[in-house]
Amino acid sequence: MIEILSVRGPASIQDLGRLDQYRFGVGTSGAMDDLALRAGNILVGNDENAAGIEIPMMPFKVRFCRDMAFALTGADVEATLGGHAIPPWWKLHACAGDVLDLRAMTRGARTYITVAGGIDVPVVLGSRSTQLRGEFGGLHGRSLLPGDILPCAAPSIPGYIGELGTEPADIALARPNTPAGDITVRVVIAGEYDAYDGAAQDLFWSSSWKVTPQSNRYGYRLQGPPVKSIAPIEKRSHGIVPGVIQVPPNGQPIIQMRDAQTSGGYPKMATVIGADLWRVGQSGLGGKLRFEQTSYADALAAHDEVSHYLNRLRTSVRLFEEMRRCR
Amino acid sequence: MPIDTSEIERLAKILEHSGIASIEIEENGQSLKLVMEDTQPSVRPPSLVPTALPGDAAVIVKADVAGIFVAAHPWRAKPFVEPGQCIEAGAVVGLVKIGLLYAPVLSPATGFVDAIIAETGATVGYGSPIVSVQATA
Amino acid sequence: MNAPTLPRISLLGTTALLFEAPGTFDLTHQRRIWAMAATASKWPGIREAIPGITNLMLTFETPPRSVDALVLALREGWDEAQEIAIEGRDIELPVTYGGEIGASLQSVADHTGLSIDDVVSIHAAPLYTVFALGSHPGYCYLGGMDPRIAMPRRQTPLQRAAGGSVSIGGSQTGVSASPGPSGWHAIGHTTWTFFDPSWSVPAALAPGDTIRFKIERVIR
Repeated sequence: MIEILSVRGPASIQDLGRLDQYRFGVGTSGAMDDLALRAGNILVGNDENAAGIEIPMMPFKVRFCRDMAFALTGADVEATLGGHAIPPWWKLHACAGDVLDLRAMTRGARTYITVAGGIDVPVVLGSRSTQLRGEFGGLHGRSLLPGDILPCAAPSIPGYIGELGTEPADIALARPNTPAGDITVRVVIAGEYDAYDGAAQDLFWSSSWKVTPQSNRYGYRLQGPPVKSIAPIEKRSHGIVPGVIQVPPNGQPIIQMRDAQTSGGYPKMATVIGADLWRVGQSGLGGKLRFEQTSYADALAAHDEVSHYLNRLRTSVRLFEEMRRCR
Repeated sequence: MPIDTSEIERLAKILEHSGIASIEIEENGQSLKLVMEDTQPSVRPPSLVPTALPGDAAVIVKADVAGIFVAAHPWRAKPFVEPGQCIEAGAVVGLVKIGLLYAPVLSPATGFVDAIIAETGATVGYGSPIVSVQATA
Repeated sequence: MNAPTLPRISLLGTTALLFEAPGTFDLTHQRRIWAMAATASKWPGIREAIPGITNLMLTFETPPRSVDALVLALREGWDEAQEIAIEGRDIELPVTYGGEIGASLQSVADHTGLSIDDVVSIHAAPLYTVFALGSHPGYCYLGGMDPRIAMPRRQTPLQRAAGGSVSIGGSQTGVSASPGPSGWHAIGHTTWTFFDPSWSVPAALAPGDTIRFKIERVIR
C-alpha cells in the first residue's frame, strides 16, 4: 500500500487507457506520457499496462506502507527517499515507512511512479485509468487527495535485485535539432487541412506555438498567430482521437489529449502521431511546440521506432536482472 | 632534529587551504603552533573538509559490470560525487552505461571521496577502479 | 452546412480513419451509417466502428501498413449499405429550459430572431432519434432538430458546461451526461442518468432510440 501524504494539482492513477469504449462516448484516458509509464513498468518488472501514478505538479509526498520496488520516470524532479537523492529514470527499493518526497519539477511536465505489482485499483470498462469526466476508474474516478491509500498488487517476480537506471526517453529517442526550447512533434494532416489557404498553412507549420495555462489532460490550448480558414467551417460531429489538432473559429489550435471528448465538430488541421504524443504530454505551461508534417508511412516508422526502443529496454532489464540474480 | 622553515612553509600552506584555524605539532620536545589570521571569512566551514586520520582505510570502488563510465547523470550538471565529498555506504558514485541501462556504482564504505579515477566516456570492465574513498567507518 | 457529394475519407494520425458520407443530415443517411458500422466493425484489424453524424470513425487495433484497401472497402461498403431500421426505445426527458444552466437560451433567441417561448416549443416539438453516442460517456447526438433554431458553435469553447445541460451546436442538439468543456450553447437541463459503468451496457441510450423533450419549466 501507498499513503498519499501531500499532493498539489490533479495527480491521478493511469494505465495505458481504455481503447475500445468510444461507442459509448468513453475516451481513452491513460498516461499523458505513455512512454514514461511503460518504461517505469518495465524497470519494476510489470506488464507495460500496469497502473501507476501520474503527477503533474509538485510538491508530492507518499509513504510506502510495505517494502516494495518502485520507479520514477517522466519529468525530472528533485526526489528523495528517506532523505537520499534519487537519480532520474530510476528503479530502487523502498522499505515500509519510507517517505518519497518529490519537490520541484525542473524539466518536463509529468512524473510517474510505478510500483512492482502495479497500483491495484479495480478495472472498470477494461482499464484502471481515471475517467475524470465520467467520475469512474482510477481511485474513485477522481484526482488523488492527502490521506488516500493506494492498494498495490504483489509483484510477479518477487525479490529485489538492486537499483537500476535507464536513459531518459528524450535522449534515447532524441529528435534532430529544433530551435532551442521548442519541442517538435510530427503530425499527419487531417481532413480540413485543404480548407486553409497557403498563408494559413504556412503559419501553422512555421509558428512556435505557446502552451497556455488553459492546457490540461482534456486538451492543450495553444497561442500564436490566428490560423483562419478560407470560409467558416461548421462540421457535423465526428469521432476524434487524442492528438487531433482542432482549430476553432478564433484560429488558436487545440491539441486534443487523453481526456478529450471522443467527438467534435471543429475543423481539424492535423493529428499528432501516436509516437510523439508523449512529447506533448511532457510540454509544460509556457512551453513552445512546433509541428512537422509527416506522412502516414513515416508515422508508422516512428511507431516502430518506439516499439523497438521498448523491446530493447525490456530485454536489457530482463538480462541485467538475471545476471545480477546469478551473482 | 629541529623543525625547519621549509616544513613550516609546507604546513602553513596546508593550513591555509584546509580551512582549519590552527594546528599544533609536538615532536621531539619541540612544539609548533600555526594560527590562521582571520583576514577574511572562510568559504567553507572546517567541518566540511574532512582530514585523513591515521588508521583510515583507502577503498577503491570498482565497477561490477562492463560498460561506459559516466560521472554525472546526463540530466544533471554536477557529477554524483566530487573529491572531498562525504558519502555513506551504498551511495551512488557514478554510473556504468550498458546500452539503454545505467548500472549504479555504489560505494561499499562510508567516508569521503578522495578522487574520481575513471573518466566519463571511458570503457570500464568488471573490477575497473572508479573512485577512491577514504573510509572513516 | 456544406453537403459533400462524394464520401470524404481522411486519416486521424495512425490511430483511426474517418469516413464522411455525402448527402443531407437525416435519418435515411444515418441508417446507412449504422449499416456500415455493423459491417466495418467485423473487418480484420478494426477495433471499433463508431457512428457520428452521417460519418463513421474506424479505430485500428494496429495501424495497417497501407490504408488503400480500407479506403476501397469503405467506398464499396457505402454504395452497398442499406438503411437499417433499429427498434429502439422511446424515452420522455423532462427539461427545465433557461435558468442558470440554460444560460444561452436568450442568445439563441437573439441569434434566430425568435422569442424564448418559440425557441423552447420548436426545440421540444420533434421526436428526436439518437443518431450516435460520443463526446463524453453517455452523451447522445440527436437528429431531427428544426433548422430554425440552429446556431453555430462557439468561437471559443467554454471550459466547463454543466452535466445534464441540453444544448444546441450548429444544426444539432444534444444532452451532456456530465460537466465538461463544450463548444455548444446550453438552453436547458435535465436530471436523468445517461451513463453508469456498472451497468452491463454502460450507456443508457443507443443509436436508434427516440427522445421527446417534455417542457417542465421555462425560466426567463
